Amino acid sequence: MTEPDAKVIEQTLRISARPETVWRYWTDPQRMCDWWGAAAELDARPGGICRVEMGGGPIMRGEFLELVPFERIVFTFGWEPTTGAPDITPGSTLVEVTLTADAGDTIMTLRHTGVAATHVDEHKSGWAHFLPLLTDAVTRATRTEPQP
Amino acid sequence: MEGGLAMDHAMRAVADPTRRAILRLVRKDELAAGEIARHFPSMSRPAVSQHLRVLADSGLVDVRPDGNRRLYRWRREGLRDAVTFVEEMWSDSLARLRAAAEREEWPERARAAKRRPPADTKETAP
Repeated sequence: MTEPDAKVIEQTLRISARPETVWRYWTDPQRMCDWWGAAAELDARPGGICRVEMGGGPIMRGEFLELVPFERIVFTFGWEPTTGAPDITPGSTLVEVTLTADAGDTIMTLRHTGVAATHVDEHKSGWAHFLPLLTDAVTRATRTEPQP
Repeated sequence: MEGGLAMDHAMRAVADPTRRAILRLVRKDELAAGEIARHFPSMSRPAVSQHLRVLADSGLVDVRPDGNRRLYRWRREGLRDAVTFVEEMWSDSLARLRAAAEREEWPERARAAKRRPPADTKETAP
């Protein structure tokens, strides 16, 4: 049986395009709107804003932390506190995207994790504590025997 | 419980600082209600019991009787729906990213891709 918690929010895809092309879909607002959101404001440099409005829905607000051209993008991830938006406080979770060239293709891996507990404001609600708990669970699940 | 509803319950349950503190207490050790209440001296026993009930109802803790005590322990599966929600958001979006990037770079390869089964999207073990 697969242990249901023995997974992290990590997804890997092979894309038949070069990392340079895939990179632009994370850093160019127009291209980002081809796959994620209806409007995007992207200032692709450390400290720059990463804000994506879902069509008629919630607004993702993040900040770019790290950009290694065509290889790696790290940004914080949260939802602006609007009605119906999932309860993930901006700044409370982290998305890391890595791009690896492979025979003309790109292997893209996305990891979505909570930030270190020390960075989390104790009084912020919900998800700020959710993902750290989760990643802790995952780490423990891989280190210990499966629960009976 | 239906997925979206379960997630709602779980998210509401962890939105309270007392309940998060309780979750941290029972994360590693199974504790009786009385032992948990001792960590919250400024709070009435019924108030602590109410928080424990919310956590149990939302599936975030398991409860089992032990004589006249009730023992509480963190239930990891309680977070699963919330995780699934984030995973689905990414897998749907990333599939669109892949399609767009392939269309831009290799129109003919993108057309060929439509003929083969989709999805080498997968979750990987840590």
